[in-house]
Amino acid sequence: MELQKFYYDNKIVRLFAYATILWGVVGMLVGLLAALQIMFPVLNFGLEFTTYGRVRPLHTNAVIFAFVGNGIFTGVYYSLQRLLKARMFSDVLSRIHFWGWQLIIVLAAVTLLAGFTTGKEYAELEWPIDILIAGIWVVFGWNMMGTILKRRVKHIYVAIWFYIATFVTVAVLHIVNSIEIPWSIMKSYSLFAGVQDALVQWWYGHNAVAFFLTTPYLGLMYYFVPKAANRPVYSYKLSIIHFWALIFLYIWAGPHHLLYTSLPDWAQALGTVFSIMLIAPSWGGMINGLLTLRGVWDKVREEPVLKFFVVAITAYGMSTFEGPMLSLKNINAISHYTNWTIGHVHIGALGWNGFLTFGMLYFLIPKMFNTKLHSIKLANLHFWIGTLGILFYSIPMYWAGWTEASMWKQFNPTGDLVYPNYLEIVTQIMPMHYMRAFGGLLYYTGLLILVYNVVKTVKAGSFVKEEAAEAYALAKEGKRGSGEGFHRFLERKPVRFMIFAIVAILIGGIVEIIPTYLIKSNIPIIATVKPYSPLELHGRDIYIKEGCYNCHSQMIRPFRSETERYGEYSKSGEFVYDHPFQFGSKRTGPDLAREGVKSGKIYKPDSWHYNHMMDPQKMNSQSIMPKYPWLANKSIDMGSTAAKIRVMQYLGVPYPEGYDLKANDDLKVQATAIADGLKASGIDVASDKEIIALIAYLQRLGTDIMDSPAALTK
Amino acid sequence: MSNTDEKNIHHGEPEIDELTKNRFLGGHEYDGIRELDNKLPSWWVWLFIITVVFSAVYLLGYQVAGWWPSQKAEYEKEMAQLAEMKKSAPQNNVDVATMLPLADAASLDAGKETFKKICSTCHGMNGQGLVGPDMTDEYWIHGDSLNNKVTIQDLYKVVITGVLEKGMISYKDQLSPVQIQQVLSYIISLQGTKPAGAKAPQGRKYDKFG
Repeated sequence: MELQKFYYDNKIVRLFAYATILWGVVGMLVGLLAALQIMFPVLNFGLEFTTYGRVRPLHTNAVIFAFVGNGIFTGVYYSLQRLLKARMFSDVLSRIHFWGWQLIIVLAAVTLLAGFTTGKEYAELEWPIDILIAGIWVVFGWNMMGTILKRRVKHIYVAIWFYIATFVTVAVLHIVNSIEIPWSIMKSYSLFAGVQDALVQWWYGHNAVAFFLTTPYLGLMYYFVPKAANRPVYSYKLSIIHFWALIFLYIWAGPHHLLYTSLPDWAQALGTVFSIMLIAPSWGGMINGLLTLRGVWDKVREEPVLKFFVVAITAYGMSTFEGPMLSLKNINAISHYTNWTIGHVHIGALGWNGFLTFGMLYFLIPKMFNTKLHSIKLANLHFWIGTLGILFYSIPMYWAGWTEASMWKQFNPTGDLVYPNYLEIVTQIMPMHYMRAFGGLLYYTGLLILVYNVVKTVKAGSFVKEEAAEAYALAKEGKRGSGEGFHRFLERKPVRFMIFAIVAILIGGIVEIIPTYLIKSNIPIIATVKPYSPLELHGRDIYIKEGCYNCHSQMIRPFRSETERYGEYSKSGEFVYDHPFQFGSKRTGPDLAREGVKSGKIYKPDSWHYNHMMDPQKMNSQSIMPKYPWLANKSIDMGSTAAKIRVMQYLGVPYPEGYDLKANDDLKVQATAIADGLKASGIDVASDKEIIALIAYLQRLGTDIMDSPAALTK
Repeated sequence: MSNTDEKNIHHGEPEIDELTKNRFLGGHEYDGIRELDNKLPSWWVWLFIITVVFSAVYLLGYQVAGWWPSQKAEYEKEMAQLAEMKKSAPQNNVDVATMLPLADAASLDAGKETFKKICSTCHGMNGQGLVGPDMTDEYWIHGDSLNNKVTIQDLYKVVITGVLEKGMISYKDQLSPVQIQQVLSYIISLQGTKPAGAKAPQGRKYDKFG
């Protein structure tokens, strides 16, 4: 066998590392802005581009796909080459991957602020960008699998198992959840509707957490923790069991985001039990990470990299225990829609993803620049200020969540809600929002310290673009030898490994999603539920565009505290024409599922909606909702009505044949009636303005089944 | 390095990690990272088994055997309890026909609280009127025009039936009769307070009020 010389490509790692830092600085700043907007509505700046409904998706997309995404690629491109003793398969693919991903991020930022959104959380990007993402993701996978196939190491290490699982699963999730039919160059409607859309979305959303925020980072942990500690991995056997258990079980857990909704009970139950069964496989990763540090805990005291890793792994252990607990019905009944969820996800995001990334950067950058970290002291300062930041962020959010839930649910002995006015609850938790923003600011300050430390380190060092290495060529791989364990065999058959991983992750999704299509009883038909009128459809698109779903749910759970507050609980059959669904996941403001029901508890007249949208603080001085004055100036895009109706027809919404061409006539009649009504209340607004469409939509919400009591008993 | 992988296996005694005294796995080395041959921690295995058993029992109990209620059944039980609460609640009924505005501080405070929570959304925090009319002037929409007076009974009717065409819903399910009496008493007490930003008069002027 010949000893081969080759070079690791550090330039691509550096590019991704810089991008990670850049998008971290941007994405977290946007998060801080969103936190401040909740406290001071004036920070929505009265501009459509900067309202909370658009800023919050920008924050989530930026920190998940830009910050963590580039963090994944940094770690993968660094570790993969070294674990396989091979340069990346293709420098060209590496560059296409890098620049393609950054292009996606820039397009995402621009389009999200411009109001192009699918309205599905963490999958807001519209169809042209979705296609680009799929393409670039394939480039990443191709480059990775190519490198694996030309490796000089016989077996693939556990980190790479996780990278492979990440690649295949994210591809499947992204493609299925993004199936949408375009009605314009930038806009589309989801193929799925209502409850089915919700199920697909949360199968995706949950597994974005699993396979974008968790599995690739476990891979990074398996490389960087033993490297930084210079210690062996605790247990190879545990790696095998927890890897396969984790990827097989994770995919089933999505429905825990829809507990007590109108998703069928059986699917909810699967979501619960698979979440519970995930505790051990998740903790397997935590154990293997923490126990790898046995014998060197004294080093942890001194080495900031290891400190970051220890807190990251601990945060991982905490969130992966808390997650299953939140999937229990009785706990979810309290936590869902509240800030508890926000606290929970930030333990994972700030602790696990953030701290692992920081530790990795502090480890990588001095290595690639052939120098020492500029300041250990500053890295320690970053560590402590960041840890404090996490505590100041999450504890107030837990507190806020419990406060919200208890105020939502409290009844007087007379059987009335103690807090019927939602605003009282919003106001009550305001101090917690202040503390949360302070925590975020601390964490952000830590990040800026990292930036300074990295810049100084980079300046002091000299970058090793091409890192020389040598290894023997890999001998031809034979059949499974006698005494060679099956898994050991699989580790030298990466394509077979990948196929096994695909099978493992497909089962859960197939079992959960397909029956909701094939078995009719899962979504009982309600005869009185009719498609939206063209004006309402436009209003719905405006609702989605403005990101109303970020603060308002449209899903009343079957609890007396909700039906007393909002009206009859939501039924699955009510949403069959909702492409996409708009259940929401957080109630910063009240639920809107029955907003339009005239005999209901929360009905408000058109004029109220008009004034409220123009200036919520004029109606309620303590309201934290942004103003939407442009809705009274911008005209409804009637040119798109026909295309929208046609796509809806294609998706199975029963508009009459040829209705696409007549829809604007109906639209005008309905709009004129609303404008006339407003005029009678002293509000002068032209009937072709967006506000008219939005009011029409809001007044339609929840009315279909309330008009005919017979429909309810079905 | 890695290509010496399999050789280590046959090197006699397995190598032991100095710090932990655990056995290394021969041939498992990746960029200098080695792996130990530790077994699965038994507490971890038990944790896994317990969660699997829990899940089986959970699915059996909820989905097959019906030991525990569906969410619909849970809701129905909760609502039955609520109905019971409402029934056994101290009867807040007042005789509407003979009802008079209350003047005691406790009632007015309670009325004020209700007003701020509910009515202020449309009538303003100080009753000055927003979408809904000003509550502090002498102009009323739903008065007794024959007798040129507005009574608490007239206003009570508005709260109970609502004025749907104008956007006011009925509050008969959200407020008890006593609460309505309290809030109306508070509204009556606002008469002539002339709050800032008062809305232009609506309806007609009445000479007698309260």
